[in-house]
Amino acid sequence: MGSFRLSSGGLIDRCKRLNFTFDGESFQGFAGDSLASALMANGRMLMGRSFKYHRPRGPITAGAAEPNALVELRSGGRKEANTRATMVELHEGLEAKSQNRWPSLGFDVGAINSLASSIFVAGFYYKTFMWPKSFWEKIYEPLIRKAAGLGAASREADPDRYEKSYAHCDLLVIGSGPAGLMAALAAARSGGRVILADEGSELGGSLLFEREEIGGKTGLEWARGVIAELASMTNITLMPRTTIFGWFDGNIFGAVERVADHVAAPTHNEPRQRYWRIIAKKAVLAAGAEERPIVFGGNDVPGVMTASAMRHYANRYGVAAGHNIAVFANNPSGARSLRDLRAHGLNATAVDHPIINVKGGKGVKAAVLAGGHDIPCDAIAVSGGWSPIVNLMCHRGTRPVWNEKLAAFLPPDVGAEFVAAGSANGKMLLSECLTDGAAKGTLKGKPPAVPKCKDEAYAISPLWWVKESKGKAFVDYQNDVTVKDLPLAAREGYNHIELAKRYTTAGMATDQGKLGNINAIAILAEATGKTIPEIGTTTFRPFYTPVSFGAFAGPFTGKHFQPVRKSPLHQWGEEQGAVFVETGLWMRSSWFPRKGEDWLAAATREVKATRNGVGLCDVSTLGKIDVHGKDAGRFLDILYCNTFSTLAVGKARYGLMLREDGIVMDDGTTSRFAEDHFVMTTTTANAAKVMSHMEFVHQALFPELDVTYTSVTEQWAQMAMAGPSARATLNKIVDGAKLDDTNTPYMAAREISILKGLPARLFRISFSGEHAYELAVPADFGNGVARALMQAGKEFGIMPYGIEALSIMRIEKGHVAGGELNGTTTAGDLGLGKMMSTKKDYIGRVMAGREGLVDPKRQVVVGIRPVDKRDRLRAGSHLLTRGQSPSLANDQGYITSVAWSPMLNMWIGLALLSDGRNRKGEVVQVFDGLRNHHMLAEICEPMQFDPENRRLHA
Amino acid sequence: MLRESPLKDVVRAGRYGADKGAPGVTLSVVHPLSLVMVIARKGKAKAAKESLTAMRGATVMWAGPDQYYVKGAEAAALKKKLGDAASIIDQSHGRVMFRISGPKSRALLAKGTPVDLHADEFPIGKSAVTQMAHVGAHLTCTGKDDFELSVFRGFSESFWEWLTEQALEFGYQVN
Repeated sequence: MGSFRLSSGGLIDRCKRLNFTFDGESFQGFAGDSLASALMANGRMLMGRSFKYHRPRGPITAGAAEPNALVELRSGGRKEANTRATMVELHEGLEAKSQNRWPSLGFDVGAINSLASSIFVAGFYYKTFMWPKSFWEKIYEPLIRKAAGLGAASREADPDRYEKSYAHCDLLVIGSGPAGLMAALAAARSGGRVILADEGSELGGSLLFEREEIGGKTGLEWARGVIAELASMTNITLMPRTTIFGWFDGNIFGAVERVADHVAAPTHNEPRQRYWRIIAKKAVLAAGAEERPIVFGGNDVPGVMTASAMRHYANRYGVAAGHNIAVFANNPSGARSLRDLRAHGLNATAVDHPIINVKGGKGVKAAVLAGGHDIPCDAIAVSGGWSPIVNLMCHRGTRPVWNEKLAAFLPPDVGAEFVAAGSANGKMLLSECLTDGAAKGTLKGKPPAVPKCKDEAYAISPLWWVKESKGKAFVDYQNDVTVKDLPLAAREGYNHIELAKRYTTAGMATDQGKLGNINAIAILAEATGKTIPEIGTTTFRPFYTPVSFGAFAGPFTGKHFQPVRKSPLHQWGEEQGAVFVETGLWMRSSWFPRKGEDWLAAATREVKATRNGVGLCDVSTLGKIDVHGKDAGRFLDILYCNTFSTLAVGKARYGLMLREDGIVMDDGTTSRFAEDHFVMTTTTANAAKVMSHMEFVHQALFPELDVTYTSVTEQWAQMAMAGPSARATLNKIVDGAKLDDTNTPYMAAREISILKGLPARLFRISFSGEHAYELAVPADFGNGVARALMQAGKEFGIMPYGIEALSIMRIEKGHVAGGELNGTTTAGDLGLGKMMSTKKDYIGRVMAGREGLVDPKRQVVVGIRPVDKRDRLRAGSHLLTRGQSPSLANDQGYITSVAWSPMLNMWIGLALLSDGRNRKGEVVQVFDGLRNHHMLAEICEPMQFDPENRRLHA
Repeated sequence: MLRESPLKDVVRAGRYGADKGAPGVTLSVVHPLSLVMVIARKGKAKAAKESLTAMRGATVMWAGPDQYYVKGAEAAALKKKLGDAASIIDQSHGRVMFRISGPKSRALLAKGTPVDLHADEFPIGKSAVTQMAHVGAHLTCTGKDDFELSVFRGFSESFWEWLTEQALEFGYQVN
């Protein structure tokens, strides 16, 4: 390994070498390295190219705020773009690539942009690509998109699993540095349920890299002692590798746990990541503070990094950023770095004048100081001060508060449920951090004693940018925003911080301005003659750091995107060769093809067999609701526009339910099994909606009613038996007296027994227009009873039929369904106006009487058939008075349902037509705009087959 | 005719998932199930509750305000006992019940429900009506690390697939 690896020190395991590749080249690092530290150890400071100018860039931090060292990990379906090399744990076989460069990271053609940088200032795109307007979509945008962007997403499916989980606690501690550990310890010792989460691979926060003394031990030893104590307690959950990314209503925190991002691939049994929703009674933000850079010329040359990052690499990873290091700081972080770097035997010098420029391209060669002299060096440590990481506390809209003394924004007061501790709270001394953590973590009683520690005094003299700077001085690294861009934005009128952000792009992209924002605010303040608090910050929003889409989707992808709901007769359907169709979540048997049949041939055969013999259809998915109680009848009278309280026990009745606004909501038959017991049916699609409607009507409008209602949809397997041989088939399985017109007349509803003792509900109702029944049996018996019926009906040529055949038969009979109950139609429109009772009140009665809803010119349901029987009607086609051309003004209505009628041998349909009932026999123009097809059709009665309903009672 | 479980071809006894010694969770399907919903009629909440409490051999689980699931009692017997104090609705076939036990049962269930299942908050005998993996679920704590959970029958296969996938990391036993 290169000479950048220090000979000793660090939390790495020097016995455990790990092989990895970067841009195809093989390297070695040690267990405990980050990708960034391992590359640096190999002398590779150059890790990426900037967004706009394609400038060579190296890491400037050692943590989550990293704007430069963005790399692509892995390949194929596991490829992940824009990951921060500073946060990636090195593992055997890690595969990383640099981004945003062509042909290579070392030689990038795009860097030519830098030469033309005087024209690529903020707002360049907005000003340049304005005209001609038509060029934007076709030429400019595709070109810009090609030039812009960092990593590329994979086009392959992600092979890994993602999970979701909930967690609950009395206290959530975010961050495991000195304040976080103390808070967690205080809470855990007081017996509360605690979660300690930290985004790092290892708990300890700043104590993993800062040289501190706590309780007579090193800070790291103290931290490990506390972590060991916490790990031994059952009331605390330690969550390393877990980023709390957002704070939401109800003190709920979103988090992502990187379960298997630190290995080449997860095992079969574990997910890659787990998305958490943590419901916390109280939370402590102990996320620490971010060290910010100072803006000066060439401050982006690889080798320039924050002073704390440089200590981090040396102390934690045993890696030197350089051997001759210039240190430029306005606060004691500079002295700390000098001390630590020298302790590692490195040559570190504090600059005596501000740095105005940096010599070097892909690496630092010298720092040019104000006054003109150069200091030769190969790395520069910078500190412009510390910004408390307030992000999470501002996610619900409260803004942070400026503190002049610390030259930093401090977290706002958002109430006792979420408080900050330690340096996240502006506590800059170690003893203050420990005390603050202990106080904020204590759930009851007195805070625990805080160990003695060695403090280092803190003071800062604000320095945002070096005015004498030469060359490009970067405020926001990731977006290449320079110190010139912000005053330009202000001059052009974008002087509000939110506008300046959008105009210059400062604070955008993956790092969201974690390093650059405060400097940007200060520079804008100066340009506009305002103070920093007057400028204020931009809005903090989730997510603190990027979250993968996989984590959001969790396990709900592909087949499990939504749950699948299967009918109790699903297996019977499969046995019969059904093709299933999704209806909401339900899988319904749609048709039962035989060899060589398409859907139409199959459905046609099913219709003919049913109308000539007997058919069996799975109708289990229709909503079934048991309505009980002394006021059940009254309740139904309120819900339906027709009357149910008068329905005799043992009878079924068709009901029509209106919305409050008078439009039809749903329909179905309801039967009465006892004085206080009705069974209501709804359409498959509206089952849940009707149930919530009932809850609302009962609870909000008529709470005095003695009524209960429960969905029993899933309790019953329900089969429609239709056709001239339906009764004969049923009679072969019915126990006791055979069915006849006396004991089971049309619209009868009975509880019977079949197959020697199975309880069943039998309804003589028909959707097909045939002599038909619906038989319901407890669901566990469904498949068995369906098989028994198939056996019993064999001699009558029984045929399973699907919902395609069902639909054909209802269109032949002119029965309305989803196409007509489409949320625009009234009972009158459907030809069911007579069902609206005049003797009682019901939901929708008053509003149904509105002028527009009783207008005689309304579009009403009619039947439609082609004039030339070879023509095919298409649903959705519009109707016009013959001879008129298609236009909104000429529109007379549209076709709602069509079917090939096997009985009439032509395409027939139902349509909504203005004043339709007075236009029977009229020939209209049919216009199918999708296919640009015109044809003629005749308006007729909706019921086109067996108009006398002879078959129903046959 | 024998009752047929919708999961008869789906649930297979065996040891699955991570092998870390003893299984983290043990899963089984309660079939044939006897489960009846009891909803107190207006003004009869107290009477209904008292009658149910006095019942022997059946488990009464809270299922909403003045609503209960009763496990192990016939609908007809309940009707006789409660008279017009409650509506009795048989859901024995309408719901599929799973038994989940073992040291990781809470961790497994937490992947689906936002209900706090800590033993102090969700003790033995407590029930919740919740949603897991987009499916409505009724959950009861039946023992130290034991739970019973029921979902609508039609979702049971889909739910089982989700449940077992979430149990992989713990290692699970299907009985």
